[in-house]
Amino acid sequence: MIQLYGVTKAYQKDSSALNDITLKIDKGEFVYITGPSGAGKSTLMRLLYGAERPSRGQILVDGQNITRLPSSRLPFLRRRMGIVFQDFKLLVRRSVFENVAFPLEVQGRQRFEISKKVYQILKLVGLEHKLQRLPLELSGGEQQRVAIARALVVDPSVLLADEPTGNLDPEVTLEIMELFKVANARGSTVLLATHSREMMHHFPRRTIALEAGRLVGDITP
Amino acid sequence: MLERPVYLLRRALRNMLQSPFLCAASVATVAVALTLIGFFAIIVVNIQLMTRDWSREVQVIAYLDVVPAESSLKGLIEEIAGHDHVQGVTYVSRQEAYERFAERLSQDADLLAGLEADFLPASLEISLREEFRTAEGVSTLVAALKQKKALSDLRYGQEWLERFEAFVRLLKVAGAVLGGFLLFAALFIVANTIKLTLYARRDELEIMALVGATPLFIKLPFLLEGALQGAVGGILALGGTFFLFHLFLQEGMSAVLLATGTSHIAFLPGFYQLAIVAGGALLGFAGSLVSLRKFVRL
Repeated sequence: MIQLYGVTKAYQKDSSALNDITLKIDKGEFVYITGPSGAGKSTLMRLLYGAERPSRGQILVDGQNITRLPSSRLPFLRRRMGIVFQDFKLLVRRSVFENVAFPLEVQGRQRFEISKKVYQILKLVGLEHKLQRLPLELSGGEQQRVAIARALVVDPSVLLADEPTGNLDPEVTLEIMELFKVANARGSTVLLATHSREMMHHFPRRTIALEAGRLVGDITP
Repeated sequence: MLERPVYLLRRALRNMLQSPFLCAASVATVAVALTLIGFFAIIVVNIQLMTRDWSREVQVIAYLDVVPAESSLKGLIEEIAGHDHVQGVTYVSRQEAYERFAERLSQDADLLAGLEADFLPASLEISLREEFRTAEGVSTLVAALKQKKALSDLRYGQEWLERFEAFVRLLKVAGAVLGGFLLFAALFIVANTIKLTLYARRDELEIMALVGATPLFIKLPFLLEGALQGAVGGILALGGTFFLFHLFLQEGMSAVLLATGTSHIAFLPGFYQLAIVAGGALLGFAGSLVSLRKFVRL
């Protein structure tokens, strides 16, 4: 469960990227965060994975107040999360397998366990036949599938995706959306920041709308 | 238990293999910086050896107007040798003094024709222990020797000694300033090179932090990598120093250096060689540590 109470984030004194946001997302929900560029979608994401701290307000993830989390505990918060970006953020000199294995290595899992899990997840995203390839040898859609596999391999309780299909064409977008649905079905709470109306039209889910840092809509179809 | 260290070492090695150019740049920087320091150390070490050689000449000569009987001469020598500043006492008889003088005159020895062999006084050459070869040590000894009536005249080159000490002091200060400057410059250059290599890999650092790596987990392979590269750079620097030593100090400059009275130019002693390799590792480690502070904040 994710709870925000009066969250404000100001980078400069007189303008805030997020302004007094209060909302609650239940465990296992699938939620779109939408709004035009500069609405504060990415800021909200960054606050949720602890890259930024709010200027005011409290954020709770699974009951834990992350605004008061000491930075030494931050890595352990992130180990329960999967994060997907528009630009994939893959290690370009590492193979597909190594990229997906990375979060498990960080957690100090055993090698045989890592191999098993990575293979299962790559099979889930349909890339088990490309595990020795380097990211730049893959198409954009495939790279994003690797990034999603990397996010899912830790069985995250929360999956955050910031414009995950922003760089992909419409056909691939629908394939990627299928994967988020699978992730949600596996038990992850999914927060997906996007301004693609097409996506929301194809898979209507609860939609939180932001505009100029303010919450302007929260619709559940 | 060993899985973690082995994993970190493997990652450090693979990082180096995956970016050979960056790795080579760091190694080369350390190697060049330490070669300069190593070459400088050779010069310092040899100047130290040279001044130690020179200081052997610090001695007190006590002239004996009247040569005492053999038994009392022996007693006098033993008494002087018993002083804690004294390393040894050599008796130079009138005859020996004459022969030395004649030898020094060599071609002009005929100037001595007609002179008796005993026109020069006998003397005691008193050498000092190494730690007392200073102006202060000499004057303490001279004060003690002056108590003895048998010794008529004492010569000890006080002025030369003071100048020599000032020269050694100057060398020490210059050595410390230059050495410190070189070391600081080396750390600065190495840290900046490593910073560039980290800058090229900042995506990797960011991704590690995003998937929940602790700062220590992120930093350790880079620190290990820095230390390894530094050690390799140190070994190369040792080779580079030897090459420069051979090129400039053994062949090129030997004639000039021999003129200063140095008969042999030594390479770095074993301890210094070890220090260069260890210093390389330390330099790489410190360079990585300094640079990582800027990149790993999360």
